[in-house]
Amino acid sequence: MSHAIRADKFLLDADRTTWHDETLWFVREKRDRAAYGVPEFQELRELASGIKNHTLSRLDLYLQEFEAAAQANGVHVHWAADAAEHNAIILDIIQQQGATRIVKSKSMLTEECHLNPYLIKHGIEVVDTDLGERIIQFRDEPPSHIVLPAIHLKKEDVGDTFHTHLGTEKGESDPQRLTEAARQHLRGKFIAGEVAISGVNFAIAETGGVVVCTNEGNADLGVNLAAVHIACMGIEKIIPRLTDLGVFTRLLARSATGQPVTTYTSHFTKPVAGKEMHIVIVDNGRTQQLGRPDFRASLKCIRCGACMNTCPVYRRSGGHSYDFTVPGPIGAILSPNIDMKKHASLPFASTLCGSCTDVCPVKIDIHTQLYKWRQVLGEANEIPAAKKWSMKFMGRVLASTRVYGLGGQFARKALRLLPHGLTHAPSMNAWAVARELPEAPRQSFREWYAKQPQPATQLPNPKVPA
Amino acid sequence: MKVALFVPCYIDQFYPQVGIATLQLLEKLGVQAHFPAQQTCCGQPLANSGCERDALPIYKHFVDTFSDYDYVVAPSGSCVYHVRKHFDKLDQTADVQHVRGAAYDLIDFISTVLKVESLPGAFPHKVGLHLSCHGQRGLHQANESEMTPVRDGQLSRLLRSLDGLELTQLNRNDECCGFGGTFCVSEAGISARMGQDRVADHVRNGTQVLTGSDMSCLMHLEGIVRRARLPIKVMHAAEILNGVVA
Amino acid sequence: MSTASRDRILDAARANKPAELPLPTVPDFGGEATIERFTTVLAGIGGTVVRMSGLAELVPTLQQLFPEARATASPLFAASVPINAQTPTGILAAIDLAVLPGEIGVAENGAVWLPEANMMNRALPTITQHLALVLDQRRIVATMHQAYAQLPNTGGYGKFVAGPSKTADIEQSLVIGAHGARSLVVLLY
Repeated sequence: MSHAIRADKFLLDADRTTWHDETLWFVREKRDRAAYGVPEFQELRELASGIKNHTLSRLDLYLQEFEAAAQANGVHVHWAADAAEHNAIILDIIQQQGATRIVKSKSMLTEECHLNPYLIKHGIEVVDTDLGERIIQFRDEPPSHIVLPAIHLKKEDVGDTFHTHLGTEKGESDPQRLTEAARQHLRGKFIAGEVAISGVNFAIAETGGVVVCTNEGNADLGVNLAAVHIACMGIEKIIPRLTDLGVFTRLLARSATGQPVTTYTSHFTKPVAGKEMHIVIVDNGRTQQLGRPDFRASLKCIRCGACMNTCPVYRRSGGHSYDFTVPGPIGAILSPNIDMKKHASLPFASTLCGSCTDVCPVKIDIHTQLYKWRQVLGEANEIPAAKKWSMKFMGRVLASTRVYGLGGQFARKALRLLPHGLTHAPSMNAWAVARELPEAPRQSFREWYAKQPQPATQLPNPKVPA
Repeated sequence: MKVALFVPCYIDQFYPQVGIATLQLLEKLGVQAHFPAQQTCCGQPLANSGCERDALPIYKHFVDTFSDYDYVVAPSGSCVYHVRKHFDKLDQTADVQHVRGAAYDLIDFISTVLKVESLPGAFPHKVGLHLSCHGQRGLHQANESEMTPVRDGQLSRLLRSLDGLELTQLNRNDECCGFGGTFCVSEAGISARMGQDRVADHVRNGTQVLTGSDMSCLMHLEGIVRRARLPIKVMHAAEILNGVVA
Repeated sequence: MSTASRDRILDAARANKPAELPLPTVPDFGGEATIERFTTVLAGIGGTVVRMSGLAELVPTLQQLFPEARATASPLFAASVPINAQTPTGILAAIDLAVLPGEIGVAENGAVWLPEANMMNRALPTITQHLALVLDQRRIVATMHQAYAQLPNTGGYGKFVAGPSKTADIEQSLVIGAHGARSLVVLLY
C-alpha cells in the first residue's frame, strides 16, 4: 500500500487532520522561537554536522575506542549485526538474570528491531515507561512520531484507553489527571522492574559513557531501580568527546520541542557496585547506508523529530501513513535502505519543499536525498509502470521542439472543447478532485510571440530606472 | 547583454499572458529579451518522478537552446532552481556551467542583476504573497522562517514599493502550497489539502490578489480558488508589475 | 556474545566510511552567565530559584518552602531519612523532599549539574516527590559548552537537571510531574 493511499484515509477526517496539523505546527513554532533565541544557532548546526561527518569518517575507530573505554568502566559491550541478534542478546541477558519484569524507556532502535513482541513471545513482561509509549502500548499501536509517540491521539482517546487499562473514570480526559494516573501506575512498574532497557542519545567514545535525554525522568528512574541496565544504540550514536555534547545538547531539545534543554540529560558511565550495565551496539543496515555516498549523511540524525513537525505532508498524513518506525522526511530517506520495495512510495511523499533540511540540527540534506532516492527507485523499476512509461514518452516529446509544439496545441484544444464533466472527472483526473484545471487560452505564448514584430537587433545595454 | 526568455511549458500552454507580461516588463526595464523558439522544458517533471535519466536529453536541449545568451530569465523559480541544482548530472562543459549560472528567476534577475529594488506605480489592493519553496529555500530569494524571524525578500520589497499596496500578514509565512510537480497527482489528496490550507490562510487574512513569482504554485492555488469560487484573484507578479509600470 | 558480528560491523564501517574529514573546533561563544538569566529561564521551564544569603538560611528556607515535607533526605543538614547507595527502593519511594548540592548552573537553559557523589543514591533525585538543588551562585556559567568544559569527568553517573519532571505526551498539553520530581527549586547562595 502506498503512502498516498494511507494518507487519503487520514484525510477523510478533515477536522482531525486540521487538529493534527495545527498541533505539530505549534511545536514547529516553539522550535523557531528557541532557534531565534540563540544567536549562534546556525553556527551550531554547522558544528554538529561537522562533528558527525568527522565521526562517520572514523566510525570504526571511534567504535573501538568507545568499546575499550566502556569495558574499562566495567560495562559489558555486545555487538548485533541485525535486529534478530539485538533481540537475542537482550533476551539472553534477561534470562541470565532470571528476570521477567522489564521496564523500557524510549528507544526507536528497539522499535525498529521489534523487541517488545519478541520478548513478550518469550514470556517477558515489557512495560514502556515513556507516557506516550505507554499509551500506544496499551492500544497496541506503533508510535506515530519519534519524539511524541502518541501525537496522533486526542486526549479523549487517551481517556478511553486509560479507562480500559488503568480504571480511570469514564470520560476523564484532563491531561493532568490522566498523567497522574499513569504516574501512579508506572511507579509500581518501576519499583518492580528487574531489568531496565534504555535507548541512547549519544555515546561518547572518549569516556565510554552513554547519554540519555528525557523530560519525564523515566530512563533514570527505571535504570537506577533495576539490577541491570541494558542500553541499546545504533552505531551512529557515537560522538568523539564529552565536550561535543555542548553542541548537541544545545540543539537537540530546541529542535525537538523548543525547550532550551531536556529536563534530564543523564550520563550513564559505570554501573553502581553490585549492578550490571550492558551496551548493545547495533548495525541493522547502518553500515550499508554508510556505504552509499548520497545517503550516508542520514546517519547524522539525532532523532529530534523537527523534520516531522515542519513537514507539511507529515502534518496532514500522520505518522502511521509512513508505515515505518521512523516516519516523516527522515524516515523516507532511511526506510528505502532497509526495504526498497516496501517503502518505494515514501521518497515521493514530499513536495521537496526543503523545510526539513532547513530545520535539521545536523544539516542532513533531507530533501536532496529524497530526490536522489527517487532516482534510485526509478532505476530499480520501483515506481509505477504507468508513471515510468509516461515519463519516458515525455522525455522524447520535450527533447524535440516540433513534437512538443504539436502536443501542446492538441492538449489545449482538447481542454477547451471537451465538456467540463469529462476533463474534470475525478476517476480520470486526480488534479480535478479538488481543483479546477487552468482555463485553456486560444493561443500559446509561442504562437503569440511568433506574430509579434521582431526587434532588428538586441538592445546593447539595459536601461535601469533610477 | 543578451537575454533569453525561458517560458516553461505549462506557462506557454496555459498562461501565455504571464510570458507576455514577463517580456513586456523586461522591456520596460530596458531589457530586450529574446524567445528562442526551439525551447521546450527544463526536465524537472521527469526528474522529480525518478526518471532523471530520461530527462538528460531535455537538459541537453535546454543547454543547446540557451548557451549563447548571457542570461536566461524565467517567470518560474522552480525551473531555474532545477537548472542550477540538478543539471549537475550533465558533463560540466563550459556551456553547461554557463547556462546553470545564467539561469535566473524573473524577480531575482530584476533584483540582483538589474538591481531594481523599487518600482514607480500604484496597485491599491491587499496582496497576498505566496513564496515558492524553490525560489525561497532553493534560490534564497526571501528569508526563511526556519532561520530568522525577519520577513524580507526580493518580491516583497518590490511589491511594497508600489503605492497603495498592502501585503497580507499570513499566519504561516512560508508554508509549501502542496503543488510539488507530479506530487499534485500522485499524492492528490495531500496536495489539495495543503493548497486549501494555504488559500484559507490568505482568506482569513484578507488577501484580494494572490501573487508570487512561480506560476506552478499559482496554477495549483488558482485551481483551488476557482473550485471554491473564492473572491481572490490569482496573478503572477510579472502581471502586477507589468500592469503598473508605465 | 558474537565476535563475528563485532568484526563484521567494524569491517563494514571501515570499508564503507568516507575519506577522513576534520573534527571541528568548538568555540566558547561567550554569553551571559547571570543569576537573572538563570532565574528567568528556569522559571520558563517550570522550576523556581530562591535566593539565600548563605547556607545558614537553608533549613529555615526549606521549612518555609516545604512545610508539609515529612520524609526528607539530604547530605547538607540533619534530614529525617538516612540514605545511602544501598537504601532499599521502598524507603526511597517514600521520600517527600531531597535536598542535594548542585555543582554547575547553566544560565541558557536552567540546568544544574548533579554528579553521583552528590546524590546519596542514584535513584533519589528522580524518585523523590520534590527536589531542591543547592547551588553556589558563582558556579553559574552561560552555556552548555562552558558547563562541559568545567566538568572534570562524568563519574559513574551524573546528570543535568533542568526543572521538574514533565511531559506533553497527551495532546501537547504540558503537565509537570511525570515520573520524576514534581517540583524543582534551586536554592542559590
